[in-house]
Amino acid sequence: MIIRKCLAAVAVCALAAACGGGEAPNATAPAAEPASTAGAAAGATGTASLAGKVSFDGTAPAPDKVKLNADPKCAAMHKEGLERAVIHVKDGGLADVLVYVKSGISGTYPPPAEPALLDQKGCDYTPHMLAMRAGQPLKIRNSDDTLHNIHPRPTVNAEFNIGQPRQGMESTKQFDKPEVMIPVGCDVHPWMRAYISVLAHPFYAVSNEDGTFEIKGLPAGEYEIEAYHGKLKSQTQKISVKDGEAAKLSFAFKG
Amino acid sequence: MPPNGAYQPWRHRFAALTAASTLVLIYMGGLVTTTGSGLAVPDWPLSYGMLMPPMVGGVRYEHGHRMAASAVGLLTLVLAIWTARSEPRRGVRNLAWIALAAVVAQGLLGGLTVLFLLPTPVSVAHACLAQTFLCLTIALTYATSREWTAAAPQSDTAGLRGAAALATGIVFIQLLLGALMRHLGAGLAIPDFPLSLGRVVPPLDTAAVAVHFAHRLGALLVLGSVAWLFVRARRSRDARFRPLAALALGLAVIQIGLGALTVLSEKAVVPTTSHVAVGAAILGLCFFLALRARRLLHPHRVVLVGLASATAGGA
Repeated sequence: MIIRKCLAAVAVCALAAACGGGEAPNATAPAAEPASTAGAAAGATGTASLAGKVSFDGTAPAPDKVKLNADPKCAAMHKEGLERAVIHVKDGGLADVLVYVKSGISGTYPPPAEPALLDQKGCDYTPHMLAMRAGQPLKIRNSDDTLHNIHPRPTVNAEFNIGQPRQGMESTKQFDKPEVMIPVGCDVHPWMRAYISVLAHPFYAVSNEDGTFEIKGLPAGEYEIEAYHGKLKSQTQKISVKDGEAAKLSFAFKG
Repeated sequence: MPPNGAYQPWRHRFAALTAASTLVLIYMGGLVTTTGSGLAVPDWPLSYGMLMPPMVGGVRYEHGHRMAASAVGLLTLVLAIWTARSEPRRGVRNLAWIALAAVVAQGLLGGLTVLFLLPTPVSVAHACLAQTFLCLTIALTYATSREWTAAAPQSDTAGLRGAAALATGIVFIQLLLGALMRHLGAGLAIPDFPLSLGRVVPPLDTAAVAVHFAHRLGALLVLGSVAWLFVRARRSRDARFRPLAALALGLAVIQIGLGALTVLSEKAVVPTTSHVAVGAAILGLCFFLALRARRLLHPHRVVLVGLASATAGGA
């Protein structure tokens, strides 16, 4: 009798597993619009450039004070504690904003062979916003004397989770499909957060500490430009550039 | 050797230790999910290629859980072998082997959750099998108890058998719903309490809200069924049932409080993980009461004495 009851419970479990629902919801990072690949024509480059500043109006939220007790080696690297500002503002400029051509680009652009680098240093990511190309190698380095796992959560590309237990370890991965704002985290150190954006073309930039950015080599044309910050609602603007033009464009985010 | 087997106290205590350890393991497993440490150790069965990685950050919870699981697995293996060598009842020997198979399956499911990056069906199955395994260890503990071997069944005039079985079934389904909600990431799909999105019944337009609300309704069903069990236990005036039924009811009330606290604290670690553990404890209690009622009570039969006598006299 007891055995029958227990086997029935196991059968219920198996049924629950079969009906266990879909995947847990991933981050809602949208896929970037891919460059048109009609006829696999090579994408053009030009002589126009687009420069500007991403500004922040208002008061940026105070940085979080992160407790690092969970890992003594991280705590030793930040004796005063770690302040994690999700919105970096300097001289009115907003840092770590991905500015890229969202639409208007056609043709294919072979990815560079040189890898993009995501470093784990001081128990934090460098950079916090990494922009790279679809098909470009991504080198992930552990510069810390502690272990990290690197766990991006893409929605379009294949998810992975790898461990780097030793200082100096490097791993190489790749994202094959365009996708912006892939959240990356370390499950060992939950305060570590970064974003990787994967583009199909080379017309993108990440704003500097003072909010300035520049995109070079644009061919003449009409484009939709998107500015994307991890914590703020993205903005788009349309712009038309001519050959040789040094176009200006600015984005203003509000707190 | 009597058919029920002579009472072997040390094996019974060992089974009880395995059951108690399983409850602790369930708490530790809950801690892994609550702290988001499920993928803090990306490889399996080794941890960062080691048997013992540095226990830092999320690794403490995930690898700690693996170590505790290994300990419970070892306890179960010892219990299965011990039972096979010294238990005269084939049913109990088989139950011990089933428990061993279940804990091995549970370990494999745990590995699959890591290697396949926490697929929801596997995570839900892992949670569900944990509760089932707890019940298996409780069954092994009770089947080896002195009470079981010396049972002299009495009539179940208070209807305890049905009440305990019903409560156990409802609690199990509620735990299943809770696991589904947790691993779908729907724990805060309804962020307010006691109302749901400002209403008594929220708009059920997403799966997350629907599952979360079903879990809240399930809580009321659990409270009702456990309260009914308590009422039946009081009516029986049987000291073997009343205190434990009271405890189950008390825990059910606490559990609803912990559920509220989980939501209102936005899934703070302590109330959320305690909610998992108390849920398992309620299941364990109800299951034990169901087994006990099954063993100590036989279905109550109403005999029409007058009719029986008249029939006998007239023959």
